Amino acid sequence: MNLRRRYLRDRLMMVGLALGTLLVLLPLLFILAHVFIEGIGALNWNFFTKPPKPPGESGGGMLPAIVGTFYIDLMALAMGGLLGLGGGVLMAEYPDHPINRPLRLVANVLGGVPAILMGLFAFVVVVEPLGGFSAFSGAVALAVLMIPIIMRSTEEVLKLLPWELREAGLALGLPRWRVTLSLILPAAKGGIITGLLLALARAAGEAAPLLFTAFGNQFLSFDPLGPMDSLPLKIYVYAISPYEDWVKQAWGAALLLALLLMLTNFLARRAMRKR
Amino acid sequence: MFKKLIIAPTVFILGLAAAAGVSLNGAGATFPYPLYAKYFDAYNKLTGVRVNYQSIGSGGGIRQLFAQTVHFGASDAPLSDAKIAEFEKKFGTQLIHVPTAMGAVVPTYNLPGVSKPLNFSGPLLAAIFLGKVTKWNDPAIAKLNPGVRLLPLPITVVHRSDGSGTTYIWTEYLAKVSPEWKAKVGVGKSVSWPVGLGGKGNEGVAGLVRQTPGAIGYNELVYAVQNKIGFGAVQNRAGKFVLASLESVKAAAALTDFPQDTRVSLTNTPAPEGYPIASFTWILVYRDLDKDRAFKSAAEAQALVKLLEWIIHDGQQYNESLHYGALPEVAVKVNESNLAKIRYNGMPVK
Repeated sequence: MNLRRRYLRDRLMMVGLALGTLLVLLPLLFILAHVFIEGIGALNWNFFTKPPKPPGESGGGMLPAIVGTFYIDLMALAMGGLLGLGGGVLMAEYPDHPINRPLRLVANVLGGVPAILMGLFAFVVVVEPLGGFSAFSGAVALAVLMIPIIMRSTEEVLKLLPWELREAGLALGLPRWRVTLSLILPAAKGGIITGLLLALARAAGEAAPLLFTAFGNQFLSFDPLGPMDSLPLKIYVYAISPYEDWVKQAWGAALLLALLLMLTNFLARRAMRKR
Repeated sequence: MFKKLIIAPTVFILGLAAAAGVSLNGAGATFPYPLYAKYFDAYNKLTGVRVNYQSIGSGGGIRQLFAQTVHFGASDAPLSDAKIAEFEKKFGTQLIHVPTAMGAVVPTYNLPGVSKPLNFSGPLLAAIFLGKVTKWNDPAIAKLNPGVRLLPLPITVVHRSDGSGTTYIWTEYLAKVSPEWKAKVGVGKSVSWPVGLGGKGNEGVAGLVRQTPGAIGYNELVYAVQNKIGFGAVQNRAGKFVLASLESVKAAAALTDFPQDTRVSLTNTPAPEGYPIASFTWILVYRDLDKDRAFKSAAEAQALVKLLEWIIHDGQQYNESLHYGALPEVAVKVNESNLAKIRYNGMPVK
């Protein structure tokens, strides 16, 4: 009797857990399914190869936005990755350095700042002095967004490495920078790449920091100092428009962006496992 | 190996960037956006010059012009005297308003089952946007629309959330016909609305109206036409209910003399056939283009002036197919003499 009751309770709990998991997963699945159903129809040849047409004319595409997304995000990753890695290494490898305390504070505060303020920052620091909107300023905004994420993930990963690894290197007479560069970073490669990719995925979905930096451009542009389009920007503009063709394309762009982000996350996981 | 991987694409990309030719950037009004998108698409095919225009609202356009991040701004509200004085003091040059087209702001609504355009009067529109008329079957609406079966649907007012020239035209008209509106809300690119939902840009307002049964908003005519949103006739000063159209807008703009600064209001026109909520829309540029940091070379200045010349002459052919009025001859004349004043480093650009 007692045993049976225990089994019953166990089963009830399991059902409860499964339901809870489902409840958490349901919105995600629903969003993905919805975006897929609405967006798949918009992904055609024109979508990937044509610049947008004036409103009211059909047949335009997203080529400038697709190219711009990669361009801006990779530029941001280069800048944010470098600074974030540097900060993370400093915090993990030189725990006693006096700059660490303020650095950690800045990273924590920066991590909580709304993304649109990054855009404002880039507008004041890059756009206004340069006298124009630019892909570069958009990349700066996204880079600032990435830095705290990369910094923290790098620090976590480096802290996981056994201290003996460093001692081994030091015992061989290597200077500290060499130990970090040749032993620590390669050993933590997988985790670091995961952090970079997750930061990239986080920044790639943001429209707000790009509104007044990358600005948008209906022409295909490769000029880092000129305005450039990006998928989140296009989604933002198209989704609220009354033009059916545009709304459809916004769904298509959302689907494409979701797929790209899923791919990034998948790669991040693989990099993690490889370690 | 790695170096090659980085250098090759960089050289390739910079090469592409250099080969692309002159690019100009503009920002502002959503009111003429469908027209400008058409202009710049056609102009790109014609000359290869790439004009990137982002419709962020008239308020945003003026702000970016002041921030010197764009080659030109666009607004459907001319700058006030105070704002012009501020501009001249700040930058040591004049601001040139270049009217490019005329448009109409129409009351757009979403009323299932009503196919005939509804009639509105200025005071009725003011009452609706003040939140005093809240049901579609209100006697005030029914009185102007005999024979139309109106449902007791609540009215959802939709207005702009961004600084907007369309809002300026709309509120300027309402203030002219309703003393209460003038006292309580006033005129401006953004006002404190007593009721309603906000939409970003003409696009956002049209989108909201389209999705919300019982909604009423205000849009440039082309947004209503292109998206098949119902829009009403408005009673003009002569007492006639007029639907916005090329003819009624043109009638409102039948001006004989045109001020040199081009800042003309067309709202509440006395013309008997004129549509009462019409307006010009303007492109705004510095007279001394070198004072705008967005200009990096004389070539850009030249490209801008050529573009403006094209818009006020050849470009006008696109206006009417998109339901915008073409510029009257007087306006073109004034534009020509204003464009001749534009300089770069003290030298005339033309």
